[in-house]
Amino acid sequence: MTDVTLYHWEPNANSGKPMLALFEKGVAFDSHYLDLLNFDQHRPDYLAVNPLGTIPAMTHGDKVLTESTAIMEYVNEAFDGPRLMPADPVDQWRARWWMKFLDQWLAPSFSMIGWSVFVGPSVRQKDPAELEAAIDRIPMPERRTAWRKAINGAFSPEEMTESQRRVGLGIGYLEAALVQREWLASGEYGLADINGFNLAYAMPLSQPQLCNDELTPNIMRWLRAIYARPATRACWALGRTDLARRISLLESEPA
Amino acid sequence: MTGILYHGQPNGPSFTVLAAAFEKGVDLERRPIDLVAGDRHSAALPHPIEVDQSIEGEGPVLVVGDVAMTDSVFLACYLDDIGTGPAIRPADPYARWQMMAWCRYVIERVAPAAAALGNAAAPPHTVPAGIASADLAARWTDAVEGEADATQLADSRTKIVQAVEKIEAQLADGRDWLMGDFSIADLESFAWLAGMRALVPQAFVASPRVDAWEARLRARPAVAQALGLATVPNPEAIWAPGPEINRWG
Repeated sequence: MTDVTLYHWEPNANSGKPMLALFEKGVAFDSHYLDLLNFDQHRPDYLAVNPLGTIPAMTHGDKVLTESTAIMEYVNEAFDGPRLMPADPVDQWRARWWMKFLDQWLAPSFSMIGWSVFVGPSVRQKDPAELEAAIDRIPMPERRTAWRKAINGAFSPEEMTESQRRVGLGIGYLEAALVQREWLASGEYGLADINGFNLAYAMPLSQPQLCNDELTPNIMRWLRAIYARPATRACWALGRTDLARRISLLESEPA
Repeated sequence: MTGILYHGQPNGPSFTVLAAAFEKGVDLERRPIDLVAGDRHSAALPHPIEVDQSIEGEGPVLVVGDVAMTDSVFLACYLDDIGTGPAIRPADPYARWQMMAWCRYVIERVAPAAAALGNAAAPPHTVPAGIASADLAARWTDAVEGEADATQLADSRTKIVQAVEKIEAQLADGRDWLMGDFSIADLESFAWLAGMRALVPQAFVASPRVDAWEARLRARPAVAQALGLATVPNPEAIWAPGPEINRWG
Protein backbone atom coordinates (compact mmCIF):
# COMPACT_ATOMS: atom_id res chain seq x y z
CA MET A 1 0.00 0.00 0.00
CA THR A 2 1.40 3.34 -0.99
CA ASP A 3 0.01 6.86 -0.98
CA VAL A 4 2.18 7.96 -3.90
CA THR A 5 0.97 7.79 -7.51
CA LEU A 6 3.08 8.90 -10.43
CA TYR A 7 1.46 9.69 -13.77
CA HIS A 8 4.15 9.28 -16.39
CA TRP A 9 5.05 8.24 -19.91
CA GLU A 10 8.27 6.44 -20.80
CA PRO A 11 11.33 6.61 -18.53
CA ASN A 12 12.68 9.39 -20.71
CA ALA A 13 12.97 13.18 -20.51
CA ASN A 14 10.55 14.77 -18.04
CA SER A 15 8.64 11.62 -17.08
CA GLY A 16 11.81 9.75 -16.23
CA LYS A 17 13.08 12.36 -13.78
CA PRO A 18 10.64 11.78 -10.88
CA MET A 19 10.47 8.06 -11.77
CA LEU A 20 14.20 7.60 -11.29
CA ALA A 21 14.28 9.87 -8.23
CA LEU A 22 11.57 7.71 -6.59
CA PHE A 23 13.49 4.51 -7.41
CA GLU A 24 16.75 5.94 -6.06
CA LYS A 25 15.00 7.09 -2.93
CA GLY A 26 13.40 3.68 -2.45
CA VAL A 27 9.86 5.08 -2.42
CA ALA A 28 7.14 2.64 -3.48
CA PHE A 29 4.65 4.22 -5.87
CA ASP A 30 1.70 3.34 -8.04
CA SER A 31 2.79 3.70 -11.62
CA HIS A 32 0.11 5.20 -13.85
CA TYR A 33 1.38 4.97 -17.43
CA LEU A 34 0.01 7.54 -19.87
CA ASP A 35 0.56 6.94 -23.57
CA LEU A 36 1.73 10.32 -24.82
CA LEU A 37 1.36 9.20 -28.43
CA ASN A 38 -2.27 8.29 -27.78
CA PHE A 39 -2.91 11.67 -26.08
CA ASP A 40 -3.83 10.00 -22.77
CA GLN A 41 -2.54 13.12 -21.01
CA HIS A 42 -5.35 15.25 -22.42
CA ARG A 43 -8.22 12.96 -21.45
CA PRO A 44 -10.69 14.04 -18.77
CA ASP A 45 -9.58 11.52 -16.15
CA TYR A 46 -6.02 12.85 -16.25
CA LEU A 47 -7.07 16.50 -16.58
CA ALA A 48 -8.93 15.96 -13.32
CA VAL A 49 -5.50 15.31 -11.76
CA ASN A 50 -3.50 17.92 -13.69
CA PRO A 51 -5.69 20.46 -15.49
CA LEU A 52 -2.72 21.65 -17.56
CA GLY A 53 -2.39 18.22 -19.16
CA THR A 54 1.38 18.13 -18.79
CA ILE A 55 3.28 14.96 -17.89
CA PRO A 56 4.45 13.97 -15.32
CA ALA A 57 2.30 14.62 -12.27
CA MET A 58 2.53 13.04 -8.85
CA THR A 59 0.04 12.70 -6.06
CA HIS A 60 1.12 12.15 -2.47
CA GLY A 61 -1.94 11.63 -0.29
CA ASP A 62 -4.16 14.54 -1.28
CA LYS A 63 -1.29 16.67 -2.57
CA VAL A 64 -0.83 17.10 -6.32
CA LEU A 65 2.56 18.03 -7.77
CA THR A 66 3.67 18.95 -11.29
CA GLU A 67 6.90 20.25 -12.90
CA SER A 68 9.34 17.37 -13.05
CA THR A 69 12.40 19.08 -11.58
CA ALA A 70 10.42 20.61 -8.72
CA ILE A 71 8.83 17.18 -8.08
CA MET A 72 12.31 15.67 -7.78
CA GLU A 73 13.29 18.19 -5.11
CA TYR A 74 10.07 17.32 -3.26
CA VAL A 75 10.79 13.59 -3.50
CA ASN A 76 14.24 14.20 -2.09
CA GLU A 77 12.96 16.26 0.83
CA ALA A 78 9.70 14.52 1.73
CA PHE A 79 10.90 10.90 1.98
CA ASP A 80 13.55 8.97 3.82
CA GLY A 81 16.29 7.35 1.81
CA PRO A 82 19.60 8.42 0.33
CA ARG A 83 20.16 12.15 0.01
CA LEU A 84 19.93 13.24 -3.64
CA MET A 85 21.04 16.84 -3.20
CA PRO A 86 24.58 17.60 -2.05
CA ALA A 87 25.04 18.82 1.53
CA ASP A 88 27.14 21.86 0.61
CA PRO A 89 25.10 25.00 -0.29
CA VAL A 90 27.41 25.87 -3.22
CA ASP A 91 27.03 22.34 -4.61
CA GLN A 92 23.25 22.63 -4.17
CA TRP A 93 23.34 25.85 -6.17
CA ARG A 94 25.33 24.08 -8.90
CA ALA A 95 22.85 21.19 -9.03
CA ARG A 96 19.99 23.65 -9.51
CA TRP A 97 21.94 25.68 -12.10
CA TRP A 98 22.54 22.57 -14.19
CA MET A 99 18.95 21.37 -13.92
CA LYS A 100 17.69 24.75 -15.14
CA PHE A 101 20.25 24.81 -17.94
CA LEU A 102 19.20 21.32 -19.04
CA ASP A 103 15.46 22.00 -18.63
CA GLN A 104 15.36 25.33 -20.42
CA TRP A 105 18.23 25.32 -22.90
CA LEU A 106 19.42 21.86 -23.82
CA ALA A 107 16.30 19.71 -23.37
CA PRO A 108 14.07 21.84 -25.63
CA SER A 109 16.65 21.45 -28.40
CA PHE A 110 16.83 17.69 -27.94
CA SER A 111 13.07 17.43 -27.82
CA MET A 112 12.64 19.48 -30.99
CA ILE A 113 14.83 16.95 -32.77
CA GLY A 114 13.14 14.03 -30.98
CA TRP A 115 9.66 15.23 -31.81
CA SER A 116 10.51 15.73 -35.46
CA VAL A 117 12.07 12.28 -35.87
CA PHE A 118 9.96 10.23 -33.43
CA VAL A 119 6.81 11.80 -31.97
CA GLY A 120 5.61 13.49 -35.17
CA PRO A 121 6.00 10.43 -37.44
CA SER A 122 4.53 8.17 -34.72
CA VAL A 123 1.22 10.02 -34.57
CA ARG A 124 1.02 11.25 -38.15
CA GLN A 125 -0.63 8.11 -39.48
CA LYS A 126 -3.67 8.60 -37.26
CA ASP A 127 -6.95 9.83 -38.74
CA PRO A 128 -6.55 13.61 -39.38
CA ALA A 129 -9.96 14.52 -37.94
CA GLU A 130 -9.24 12.46 -34.83
CA LEU A 131 -5.81 14.13 -34.52
CA GLU A 132 -7.29 17.59 -34.85
CA ALA A 133 -9.86 16.80 -32.16
CA ALA A 134 -7.11 15.47 -29.92
CA ILE A 135 -5.07 18.66 -30.37
CA ASP A 136 -8.10 20.82 -29.63
CA ARG A 137 -8.39 19.11 -26.25
CA ILE A 138 -4.89 20.26 -25.20
CA PRO A 139 -5.35 22.86 -22.45
CA MET A 140 -2.17 24.92 -22.92
CA PRO A 141 -1.97 27.00 -26.13
CA GLU A 142 1.82 26.55 -26.18
CA ARG A 143 1.42 22.80 -26.26
CA ARG A 144 -1.19 22.96 -29.01
CA THR A 145 1.29 24.91 -31.15
CA ALA A 146 4.07 22.44 -30.41
CA TRP A 147 1.93 19.40 -31.25
CA ARG A 148 0.76 20.94 -34.52
CA LYS A 149 4.36 21.68 -35.47
CA ALA A 150 5.49 18.15 -34.58
CA ILE A 151 2.67 16.46 -36.44
CA ASN A 152 2.98 18.62 -39.53
CA GLY A 153 6.77 18.42 -39.52
CA ALA A 154 6.70 22.21 -39.44
CA PHE A 155 9.82 23.02 -37.47
CA SER A 156 11.69 25.47 -39.70
CA PRO A 157 15.19 24.64 -40.96
CA GLU A 158 16.46 27.57 -38.86
CA GLU A 159 14.87 26.11 -35.72
CA MET A 160 16.33 22.67 -36.39
CA THR A 161 19.78 24.12 -37.15
CA GLU A 162 19.69 26.12 -33.93
CA SER A 163 18.64 23.03 -31.97
CA GLN A 164 21.48 21.00 -33.47
CA ARG A 165 23.92 23.83 -32.67
CA ARG A 166 22.81 23.77 -29.04
CA VAL A 167 23.00 19.99 -28.82
CA GLY A 168 26.59 20.12 -30.08
CA LEU A 169 27.57 22.83 -27.61
CA GLY A 170 25.66 21.21 -24.78
CA ILE A 171 27.49 17.91 -25.22
CA GLY A 172 30.74 19.86 -24.95
CA TYR A 173 29.59 21.59 -21.77
CA LEU A 174 28.57 18.28 -20.20
CA GLU A 175 31.90 16.69 -21.06
CA ALA A 176 33.78 19.69 -19.62
CA ALA A 177 31.79 19.50 -16.37
CA LEU A 178 32.39 15.76 -16.07
CA VAL A 179 36.13 16.26 -16.60
CA GLN A 180 36.08 18.44 -13.48
CA ARG A 181 33.83 16.31 -11.28
CA GLU A 182 32.81 12.69 -10.91
CA TRP A 183 29.13 13.66 -11.09
CA LEU A 184 27.50 16.57 -12.87
CA ALA A 185 27.13 19.01 -9.98
CA SER A 186 29.36 17.68 -7.21
CA GLY A 187 31.24 14.66 -5.92
CA GLU A 188 27.95 12.94 -5.10
CA TYR A 189 25.35 11.32 -7.33
CA GLY A 190 22.08 13.24 -7.22
CA LEU A 191 19.19 15.01 -8.88
CA ALA A 192 21.33 16.82 -11.46
CA ASP A 193 22.62 13.44 -12.66
CA ILE A 194 19.11 11.97 -12.73
CA ASN A 195 17.95 14.97 -14.74
CA GLY A 196 20.92 14.79 -17.09
CA PHE A 197 20.69 11.05 -17.62
CA ASN A 198 17.07 11.31 -18.74
CA LEU A 199 18.17 13.78 -21.35
CA ALA A 200 21.44 12.17 -22.34
CA TYR A 201 21.17 8.38 -22.05
CA ALA A 202 20.52 7.90 -25.76
CA MET A 203 23.02 10.51 -26.98
CA PRO A 204 25.62 7.94 -28.07
CA LEU A 205 22.92 6.58 -30.40
CA SER A 206 21.23 9.80 -31.51
CA GLN A 207 24.40 11.91 -31.76
CA PRO A 208 27.11 9.28 -32.40
CA GLN A 209 29.37 11.73 -34.22
CA LEU A 210 29.42 14.04 -31.17
CA CYS A 211 29.09 11.66 -28.23
CA ASN A 212 31.30 8.58 -28.15
CA ASP A 213 34.17 6.94 -26.22
CA GLU A 214 36.80 8.85 -28.14
CA LEU A 215 35.37 12.37 -28.08
CA THR A 216 33.45 12.35 -24.81
CA PRO A 217 34.94 9.66 -22.56
CA ASN A 218 33.65 11.34 -19.41
CA ILE A 219 30.06 11.50 -20.61
CA MET A 220 30.33 7.81 -21.52
CA ARG A 221 31.79 6.97 -18.09
CA TRP A 222 28.99 8.92 -16.40
CA LEU A 223 26.20 7.34 -18.48
CA ARG A 224 27.52 3.82 -17.88
CA ALA A 225 27.88 4.47 -14.14
CA ILE A 226 24.26 5.62 -13.92
CA TYR A 227 23.07 2.72 -16.07
CA ALA A 228 24.81 0.31 -13.68
CA ARG A 229 22.71 1.47 -10.74
CA PRO A 230 19.90 -0.91 -9.71
CA ALA A 231 17.43 1.96 -9.53
CA THR A 232 18.10 2.83 -13.17
CA ARG A 233 17.51 -0.77 -14.27
CA ALA A 234 14.25 -0.95 -12.32
CA CYS A 235 13.10 2.38 -13.68
CA TRP A 236 13.81 1.63 -17.32
CA ALA A 237 12.04 -1.72 -16.98
CA LEU A 238 8.82 0.33 -16.85
CA GLY A 239 9.40 1.48 -20.42
CA ARG A 240 7.08 0.07 -23.07
CA THR A 241 8.53 1.39 -26.33
CA ASP A 242 11.73 1.35 -28.34
CA LEU A 243 12.47 4.75 -26.84
CA ALA A 244 13.30 3.24 -23.45
CA ARG A 245 15.04 0.22 -24.99
CA ARG A 246 17.70 2.52 -26.42
CA ILE A 247 19.29 2.38 -22.97
CA SER A 248 20.73 -1.06 -23.74
CA LEU A 249 23.44 0.59 -25.83
CA LEU A 250 25.09 1.49 -22.52
CA GLU A 251 25.83 -2.20 -22.02
CA SER A 252 28.70 -1.82 -24.48
CA GLU A 253 32.23 -1.65 -23.11
CA PRO A 254 34.39 1.43 -23.65
CA ALA A 255 36.00 1.24 -27.09
CA MET B 1 33.15 38.68 3.99
CA THR B 2 31.18 35.88 2.40
CA GLY B 3 31.35 36.74 -1.27
CA ILE B 4 31.56 39.36 -3.98
CA LEU B 5 28.33 40.31 -5.71
CA TYR B 6 28.47 41.94 -9.13
CA HIS B 7 25.06 43.46 -9.69
CA GLY B 8 23.16 45.96 -11.80
CA GLN B 9 20.45 48.44 -10.82
CA PRO B 10 17.95 46.91 -8.33
CA ASN B 11 15.57 45.60 -10.99
CA GLY B 12 14.93 42.07 -12.28
CA PRO B 13 17.40 39.44 -11.06
CA SER B 14 19.77 41.96 -9.46
CA PHE B 15 16.89 43.10 -7.24
CA THR B 16 16.05 39.55 -6.13
CA VAL B 17 19.59 38.81 -5.02
CA LEU B 18 20.24 42.16 -3.33
CA ALA B 19 16.98 41.99 -1.38
CA ALA B 20 17.57 38.32 -0.44
CA ALA B 21 21.04 39.17 0.87
CA PHE B 22 19.63 41.98 3.03
CA GLU B 23 16.72 39.81 4.23
CA LYS B 24 19.21 37.15 5.30
CA GLY B 25 21.79 39.51 6.74
CA VAL B 26 24.53 38.22 4.44
CA ASP B 27 27.37 40.71 4.29
CA LEU B 28 28.48 40.70 0.65
CA GLU B 29 31.10 42.88 -0.96
CA ARG B 30 28.97 44.64 -3.55
CA ARG B 31 30.48 45.65 -6.87
CA PRO B 32 27.90 47.54 -8.93
CA ILE B 33 28.33 47.07 -12.67
CA ASP B 34 26.53 48.57 -15.65
CA LEU B 35 24.68 45.61 -17.15
CA VAL B 36 23.31 47.76 -19.98
CA ALA B 37 26.84 48.73 -21.00
CA GLY B 38 27.81 45.05 -21.06
CA ASP B 39 30.11 45.15 -18.01
CA ARG B 40 29.13 41.59 -17.17
CA HIS B 41 31.14 40.41 -20.19
CA SER B 42 34.34 42.25 -19.26
CA ALA B 43 37.52 40.53 -18.16
CA ALA B 44 37.00 41.94 -14.66
CA LEU B 45 34.53 39.10 -13.99
CA PRO B 46 35.26 35.37 -14.03
CA HIS B 47 33.76 33.54 -17.02
CA PRO B 48 32.99 29.90 -16.26
CA ILE B 49 30.10 28.28 -18.11
CA GLU B 50 27.71 29.15 -15.27
CA VAL B 51 28.33 32.85 -15.91
CA ASP B 52 28.52 32.81 -19.69
CA GLN B 53 25.61 30.43 -20.30
CA SER B 54 23.28 31.55 -17.53
CA ILE B 55 19.66 31.15 -18.65
CA GLU B 56 18.86 34.42 -16.92
CA GLY B 57 20.88 36.57 -19.35
CA GLU B 58 22.16 39.77 -17.79
CA GLY B 59 21.79 38.83 -14.13
CA PRO B 60 24.06 39.28 -11.12
CA VAL B 61 27.14 37.15 -10.43
CA LEU B 62 28.06 36.02 -6.92
CA VAL B 63 31.66 34.92 -6.45
CA VAL B 64 32.37 32.77 -3.40
CA GLY B 65 35.95 31.52 -3.19
CA ASP B 66 36.75 30.27 -6.68
CA VAL B 67 33.12 29.61 -7.66
CA ALA B 68 31.11 32.15 -9.66
CA MET B 69 27.37 31.62 -9.24
CA THR B 70 24.39 32.94 -11.26
CA ASP B 71 20.60 32.67 -11.63
CA SER B 72 18.82 34.76 -9.04
CA VAL B 73 16.36 32.27 -7.53
CA PHE B 74 19.13 29.77 -6.88
CA LEU B 75 21.39 32.49 -5.51
CA ALA B 76 18.56 33.41 -3.15
CA CYS B 77 18.29 29.73 -2.09
CA TYR B 78 22.03 29.78 -1.41
CA LEU B 79 21.75 32.98 0.63
CA ASP B 80 18.86 31.42 2.55
CA ASP B 81 21.15 28.52 3.48
CA ILE B 82 24.12 30.57 4.62
CA GLY B 83 22.45 33.67 6.07
CA THR B 84 21.26 34.17 9.64
CA GLY B 85 18.06 36.14 8.97
CA PRO B 86 14.58 34.55 9.02
CA ALA B 87 14.01 31.85 6.41
CA ILE B 88 12.93 32.98 2.92
CA ARG B 89 11.86 29.48 1.88
CA PRO B 90 9.16 27.38 3.53
CA ALA B 91 10.46 24.46 5.62
CA ASP B 92 7.68 22.04 4.70
CA PRO B 93 8.57 20.05 1.55
CA TYR B 94 5.19 20.57 -0.14
CA ALA B 95 5.18 24.30 0.60
CA ARG B 96 8.72 24.42 -0.70
CA TRP B 97 7.61 22.62 -3.89
CA GLN B 98 4.88 25.25 -4.28
CA MET B 99 7.46 28.00 -4.00
CA MET B 100 9.91 26.42 -6.43
CA ALA B 101 7.12 25.68 -8.94
CA TRP B 102 5.92 29.29 -8.61
CA CYS B 103 9.44 30.61 -9.19
CA ARG B 104 9.82 28.30 -12.18
CA TYR B 105 6.68 29.85 -13.66
CA VAL B 106 8.13 33.33 -13.14
CA ILE B 107 11.50 32.32 -14.56
CA GLU B 108 10.09 30.59 -17.61
CA ARG B 109 7.03 32.66 -18.52
CA VAL B 110 7.11 36.07 -16.82
CA ALA B 111 10.81 36.97 -16.90
CA PRO B 112 11.30 36.50 -20.68
CA ALA B 113 8.15 38.54 -21.33
CA ALA B 114 9.19 41.35 -18.98
CA ALA B 115 12.72 41.45 -20.39
CA ALA B 116 11.41 41.59 -23.96
CA LEU B 117 9.04 44.46 -23.14
CA GLY B 118 11.63 46.29 -21.03
CA ASN B 119 14.29 46.10 -23.73
CA ALA B 120 11.83 47.17 -26.42
CA ALA B 121 10.90 50.23 -24.34
CA ALA B 122 14.47 51.14 -23.37
CA PRO B 123 16.86 49.53 -25.84
CA PRO B 124 20.57 49.33 -25.05
CA HIS B 125 22.77 51.46 -27.32
CA THR B 126 25.37 48.95 -28.47
CA VAL B 127 26.07 45.25 -28.37
CA PRO B 128 28.97 44.77 -25.97
CA ALA B 129 32.10 42.93 -27.02
CA GLY B 130 32.95 39.55 -25.60
CA ILE B 131 29.54 37.87 -25.26
CA ALA B 132 30.31 34.17 -25.15
CA SER B 133 26.78 32.88 -25.77
CA ALA B 134 25.63 33.24 -29.38
CA ASP B 135 21.96 33.19 -28.39
CA LEU B 136 22.46 35.91 -25.75
CA ALA B 137 24.42 37.94 -28.32
CA ALA B 138 21.50 37.57 -30.72
CA ARG B 139 19.10 38.91 -28.06
CA TRP B 140 21.42 41.90 -27.60
CA THR B 141 21.49 42.56 -31.35
CA ASP B 142 17.70 42.35 -31.57
CA ALA B 143 17.35 44.71 -28.59
CA VAL B 144 19.81 47.28 -29.94
CA GLU B 145 18.30 47.22 -33.41
CA GLY B 146 14.75 47.37 -32.09
CA GLU B 147 14.00 44.10 -33.87
CA ALA B 148 11.41 42.92 -31.37
CA ASP B 149 8.77 40.77 -33.03
CA ALA B 150 5.29 42.38 -32.75
CA THR B 151 3.65 38.99 -32.12
CA GLN B 152 6.10 38.21 -29.34
CA LEU B 153 5.57 41.62 -27.73
CA ALA B 154 1.78 41.16 -27.83
CA ASP B 155 2.19 37.69 -26.33
CA SER B 156 4.53 39.13 -23.70
CA ARG B 157 1.91 41.70 -22.66
CA THR B 158 -0.59 38.84 -22.34
CA LYS B 159 1.86 36.97 -20.12
CA ILE B 160 2.19 40.02 -17.84
CA VAL B 161 -1.61 40.39 -17.61
CA GLN B 162 -1.87 36.69 -16.73
CA ALA B 163 0.88 36.96 -14.12
CA VAL B 164 -0.87 39.84 -12.36
CA GLU B 165 -4.14 37.86 -12.45
CA LYS B 166 -2.36 34.85 -10.99
CA ILE B 167 -0.93 36.89 -8.12
CA GLU B 168 -4.28 38.58 -7.51
CA ALA B 169 -5.90 35.12 -7.28
CA GLN B 170 -3.14 33.79 -5.03
CA LEU B 171 -3.76 36.66 -2.58
CA ALA B 172 -7.56 36.25 -2.69
CA ASP B 173 -7.74 34.45 0.66
CA GLY B 174 -6.36 37.52 2.40
CA ARG B 175 -2.80 36.31 2.81
CA ASP B 176 -0.01 38.89 2.94
CA TRP B 177 2.54 36.93 0.90
CA LEU B 178 2.33 34.58 -2.06
CA MET B 179 3.30 31.43 -0.18
CA GLY B 180 1.69 32.50 3.12
CA ASP B 181 4.96 33.39 4.78
CA PHE B 182 7.25 35.85 3.01
CA SER B 183 9.55 34.03 0.56
CA ILE B 184 11.77 34.19 -2.50
CA ALA B 185 8.59 33.92 -4.59
CA ASP B 186 7.58 37.43 -3.49
CA LEU B 187 10.99 38.86 -4.36
CA GLU B 188 11.26 37.14 -7.74
CA SER B 189 7.69 38.06 -8.77
CA PHE B 190 8.15 41.71 -7.81
CA ALA B 191 11.60 41.78 -9.46
CA TRP B 192 10.15 41.20 -12.92
CA LEU B 193 6.79 42.94 -12.51
CA ALA B 194 7.89 46.24 -10.92
CA GLY B 195 8.73 47.76 -14.30
CA MET B 196 5.56 46.46 -15.94
CA ARG B 197 3.24 49.00 -14.32
CA ALA B 198 4.49 51.63 -16.75
CA LEU B 199 4.74 49.31 -19.77
CA VAL B 200 1.58 47.20 -19.38
CA PRO B 201 -0.72 49.46 -17.33
CA GLN B 202 -3.77 47.48 -18.42
CA ALA B 203 -2.54 44.58 -16.28
CA PHE B 204 -2.93 46.65 -13.13
CA VAL B 205 -6.31 48.37 -13.61
CA ALA B 206 -8.17 45.99 -11.30
CA SER B 207 -5.52 44.50 -9.06
CA PRO B 208 -6.11 45.90 -5.56
CA ARG B 209 -4.50 42.91 -3.83
CA VAL B 210 -1.41 43.11 -6.04
CA ASP B 211 -1.17 46.83 -5.30
CA ALA B 212 -1.36 46.22 -1.54
CA TRP B 213 1.14 43.34 -1.79
CA GLU B 214 3.60 45.55 -3.63
CA ALA B 215 3.19 48.27 -1.00
CA ARG B 216 3.85 45.72 1.78
CA LEU B 217 6.89 44.50 -0.10
CA ARG B 218 8.31 47.98 -0.60
CA ALA B 219 7.83 48.63 3.12
CA ARG B 220 10.16 45.78 4.11
CA PRO B 221 13.49 47.20 5.30
CA ALA B 222 15.51 44.78 3.16
CA VAL B 223 13.53 45.65 0.03
CA ALA B 224 13.85 49.37 0.72
CA GLN B 225 17.57 48.89 1.28
CA ALA B 226 17.93 47.07 -2.05
CA LEU B 227 15.90 49.67 -3.95
CA GLY B 228 17.88 52.39 -2.20
CA LEU B 229 21.03 51.23 -3.98
CA ALA B 230 19.67 52.59 -7.26
CA THR B 231 21.81 55.28 -8.83
CA VAL B 232 19.00 56.35 -11.17
CA PRO B 233 15.52 57.67 -10.27
CA ASN B 234 13.64 54.70 -11.78
CA PRO B 235 15.64 51.49 -11.57
CA GLU B 236 12.61 49.49 -12.75
CA ALA B 237 13.00 51.18 -16.16
CA ILE B 238 16.56 49.87 -16.63
CA TRP B 239 16.79 46.68 -18.69
CA ALA B 240 19.43 44.57 -20.38
CA PRO B 241 18.66 41.41 -22.37
CA GLY B 242 17.20 38.73 -20.16
CA PRO B 243 16.11 35.11 -20.57
CA GLU B 244 14.98 34.08 -24.04
CA ILE B 245 11.36 33.52 -24.95
CA ASN B 246 10.66 29.79 -25.04
CA ARG B 247 11.58 28.54 -28.51
CA TRP B 248 8.62 26.14 -28.44
CA GLY B 249 6.25 29.11 -28.13
